[in-house]
Amino acid sequence: MTKILVANRGEIACRIFRTLRDMGISSVAIHSEGDKDSPHLDEADEAVEVEGNDPAKSYLNIQGILEAAGKTGATAIHPGYGFLSTNPKFPSACERAKLTFIGPTSAAMTALGDKRSARATAERCGIPVVPGARECDSPESAQAVADRVGYPILVKAAGGGGGRGLRQVEDAASLPEAFAAARREAESSFRDGRMLVEKFIHPARHVEIQILGGGKRAVAFGERECSLQRRFQKVIEESPSPGLSGSLRASMADAAEKLAAAAGYTNAGTVEFLLGPDGSWYFLEVNARLQVEHPVTEARFGVDLVAAQVDLALGGPLPAPAEPRGHAIEARINAEDPGRDYLPMTGRVAALRWPQRPDLRVDGGIREGQEVLPWFDPLLGKIIAWGHDREWARRRLLGGLRDLVLAGVPTNQRFLIDTLESEFFIQGETFTTTLESHSWTPPEPSKEMLVAAATAAAPPAPKSKSASPWRARGSWRMGS
Amino acid sequence: MKRVVRLKCRGRVHNVEVDGTEKVPRRAAIVPVPGGVWVSLDGHCEFFEPVLGSVPLPSRAADPEVRAPMTGRIVAIRVKPGDAVREGDVLVVLEAMKMEYRVAAPAAGTVATVRVSERDRVEIGTVLVTMSPP
Repeated sequence: MTKILVANRGEIACRIFRTLRDMGISSVAIHSEGDKDSPHLDEADEAVEVEGNDPAKSYLNIQGILEAAGKTGATAIHPGYGFLSTNPKFPSACERAKLTFIGPTSAAMTALGDKRSARATAERCGIPVVPGARECDSPESAQAVADRVGYPILVKAAGGGGGRGLRQVEDAASLPEAFAAARREAESSFRDGRMLVEKFIHPARHVEIQILGGGKRAVAFGERECSLQRRFQKVIEESPSPGLSGSLRASMADAAEKLAAAAGYTNAGTVEFLLGPDGSWYFLEVNARLQVEHPVTEARFGVDLVAAQVDLALGGPLPAPAEPRGHAIEARINAEDPGRDYLPMTGRVAALRWPQRPDLRVDGGIREGQEVLPWFDPLLGKIIAWGHDREWARRRLLGGLRDLVLAGVPTNQRFLIDTLESEFFIQGETFTTTLESHSWTPPEPSKEMLVAAATAAAPPAPKSKSASPWRARGSWRMGS
Repeated sequence: MKRVVRLKCRGRVHNVEVDGTEKVPRRAAIVPVPGGVWVSLDGHCEFFEPVLGSVPLPSRAADPEVRAPMTGRIVAIRVKPGDAVREGDVLVVLEAMKMEYRVAAPAAGTVATVRVSERDRVEIGTVLVTMSPP
């Protein structure tokens, strides 16, 4: 009997558990001490606490997770994204413990998850890579690369991702400091201080191909454009990319399949490319895991990528290529303040109502009353809209974002709405630097909002203290 | 009756005139929490903190001093030394700009001293009442 432990929390754990229920597979959640009331526990059949020195460490505790699997009789582990998902030691440890790892094998993960070796494989396959792209152990060697390819350059962690250990460097003067800062971040985030230096392509689109690998062969499931990023973290993703022609799309998908097959890649992965302003494109890196933005592909191709991952890991065949239809856009709801440099925010979710609409999907990982803690990723949930064309997907997503009620923690909700309504988004003019160059200031609250707040703040002549809304903890209302 | 409610939002104070006849859209979510209110309307969600008001300061049981939340005149004193009060009980009523504000106990306790008298003018931050734990 298959029983799957999900070594994760938040929206992705919830999302995986839902598919496991649909597949009739029993499931186990793990949690840190502080997460014992978190929503992902409700979605699983069982839950086990895993020790950790701080709350995030529980989800990084390989030994503790394997023990939890042993205790519950789990036969397989899904890592989700983040945490241990791209640590090659995890699939190895699972293998030694006779557990099925739902993801690439340790060897495949190392071959493509490591930026340096992935780039070497790409070059062997004749796939273009970003100029420069050398490992540098000092600011001096980085300078040598810069002299050859010209500024601006990117300095980034060889063993990392998610925007940490990454710096854009404009000139030689700022290189030493940027190099040192990126390396410090890489060492603290990934315990790996190896740095890569490459030419910074500008303006560029970030286009990635979803693949499912079966070892000898891989199948591509279209692209996702994820150019809209802040601090190198994606916020809005869509498929298809508004900047990709049919022939370009086919070449990228072909390159991704070829690369995955060359590395003997197994399970789900994403091959990332940069698309330059002149239509030139370059291999960037492989994310050897399920990605946050995978629902965009699911909406367009009618596949369940988690189900496909489970089937593949249990020895099933590669699914047949699917025909895409329409357009899908995802927005990430983050606990952050886009008006103050996307500062992560914490607080208690005082009110929550997700939107409902045809072809609108919500992947949420929070509930009313929950504390949003400072130790984890600020992602609270995702809203994904499908439409028969881009404009309809955009309108649905906007409608969903306007209907969303999420109070108690500051979020980027209004920022997402303004971005989806901006001229550059409507025109599909989205580049990796677009959000940086369009600074956003939160609009003033409308008259209606102020009146609503005022009537709640000072109700006319309260008769007793119980009439004061300030005492009405835990209840909220719509309008009046 | 026309009133002005002062609300702080993202560091800016807004003076909102209300007379009780205003209609708030039914789709607005109004979420009172300790210390203020969240309002979410059409995807715009903000936190509003009353600058002056009948609102008890955020619960700080350790702080034995209850201070004037605004500059004004004392119109009523509802407690005397030795009174046991519960959190939220009105201690003093202040008036300013023709509006009354009730200053409430931030936590349960016993009134130690009352530092003001009726009709006194007080500045914002003036200690009105001191309290000791229950």
